[in-house]
Amino acid sequence: MTGFMTLLQKEWKEQTRNFKVLWIPLVFIILGILEPVSNYYLPEIMKSVGNMPEGAEFLWPEFTGEEIFMSLLGQYQFIGILVIVLAFMGSISGERKTGTATLLYVRPISYRAYFLSKWIVLNGIVLASVWLGFLAAWYYISILFNSVNALEVFGFIATYSLWIMFVVTAVLAFSASFSTGIAATLSLLLTIGFQIVDSLIGEYWTISPWKLPFYATSVFNGNNDAAGLWWSVCITFIAVLVSIFAGVNMSKRNAAKTTV
Amino acid sequence: MSILLEVKNLTKSYSQEKAADNISFALEEHTSTALIGPNGAGKTTTLSMLAGLVSPSNGTIAFHNNKTSDIREIIGFLPQYPKFFPWLSALEFTEMAARLSGVEAKKATLEARKTLEFVGLGDAMKKKTSAFSGGMKQRLGLAQAIVHKPKLLLLDEPVSALDPAGRRQVMNLLKELQAETTILYSTHILNDAEEMTDQLLFLRQGALVEHGSLEDVRTRYAKPRILIEFEKLEDIQRFKALTPWELTVTGRTIAIDIVAEKVEMPAVLAILYKEGFLIRKVERQTASLEEIFMEVAVIQS
Repeated sequence: MTGFMTLLQKEWKEQTRNFKVLWIPLVFIILGILEPVSNYYLPEIMKSVGNMPEGAEFLWPEFTGEEIFMSLLGQYQFIGILVIVLAFMGSISGERKTGTATLLYVRPISYRAYFLSKWIVLNGIVLASVWLGFLAAWYYISILFNSVNALEVFGFIATYSLWIMFVVTAVLAFSASFSTGIAATLSLLLTIGFQIVDSLIGEYWTISPWKLPFYATSVFNGNNDAAGLWWSVCITFIAVLVSIFAGVNMSKRNAAKTTV
Repeated sequence: MSILLEVKNLTKSYSQEKAADNISFALEEHTSTALIGPNGAGKTTTLSMLAGLVSPSNGTIAFHNNKTSDIREIIGFLPQYPKFFPWLSALEFTEMAARLSGVEAKKATLEARKTLEFVGLGDAMKKKTSAFSGGMKQRLGLAQAIVHKPKLLLLDEPVSALDPAGRRQVMNLLKELQAETTILYSTHILNDAEEMTDQLLFLRQGALVEHGSLEDVRTRYAKPRILIEFEKLEDIQRFKALTPWELTVTGRTIAIDIVAEKVEMPAVLAILYKEGFLIRKVERQTASLEEIFMEVAVIQS
């Protein structure tokens, strides 16, 4: 894997200097803080600015900390994924389009090193963002709601992390295979689109990467389908490996498409 | 001199079209070769194949006396419009280029500095490339192409985008490099080719239509002729009547084809002198490279 360390440094510099290493964690952390805080203060906010008729009383549901984690996951599943796709859809296709890739491809780099350097840095940033977001949420949940069992939280985060890794790998592989626009469309279809499909008719199967977020939340409410969880984890791991393999090969095959 | 690179029957087809059609040539070490042709003749495609960016549909590219399997290890490539990562400084980029070509870290920094000084970017090496002008980008492009001391330097239109001053500078740099490396560059600016070339390759519609040393090609297409510019227009008729030769008339000037008419200067001068023609200019001329270019690469059917 010639040039791997150099490419890794290049990727890291890129993500630092375009501030993605800053704003992507910020998005996840802000979402992570807002979820418990807004849920906690919602009754009071509604009371003061909600324009409610005099004397109206609402019975607000009592949320538990676990439920806040689940609704935060709902936010990440939509806004979070959107951010990931939009931030990284051009990781490879963009380099080809602008022609910056040309000066890399004419050097004796291996495309495995090229793809994996991006894969590692992107996953690093996104996973760290998700973790920081959940940790921030956990902190506020323990202050405003009840303290949630640490083992459960880690199980939850670990399971969800695999799903996030799947998303990042898919975006990168699509970016290696297609132009930026198509890569974005396919990435959104595969992640958010299939997620909807899975939630609509997903009761007919128990094993799929799109079920991982669901299995992550099941850590909290205890209705564990251990076999389903582990098979989904395995399937997702295989999907990630296949995507990496495809991404490496497509980067190589599409090298000739770089703007000279 | 030994042969560095041998290209045989190189072909690249895109669906119906052939961007490169059965091109064969060899490059000797420490020579520079100009790839000449109009836009769309296949110059960039040929260079891209040599650079390992595009894989040929057919044919072979062989580096002699070379054990490496990856030809990218011993080449340096400068695209026509080099694009750099805007968030890297010139020094960082050149360093990265050297590292990716296998130069070890400490040496890479040293070489990067040296190379940037050499191309005249010594003062700008800490600047981000996004702030670079066209000429600076071209020079940085050259720096990244030579920083790892490649055996073969491939340059796609290295000076076409530059102003006369920048062109002069880059041409001088290339002449200096000639001592250390083998250069293959494409151009459609013939003055450049005339200035620095051991071999000319003419491409037309993807095919190699003519090649040889500058002198060879010159001689082959020289079309030596004598030009006479008369003072009076009516003298042309008078001169015509006096001589058996086929004349081409343009304004006050006539041209006599030396080879076709088997005539040389003294005979012409003798007539002019004897008949007392008033003349502005008499000249023996051979075809300029531009005329050869038009004939070989453009018009020839």
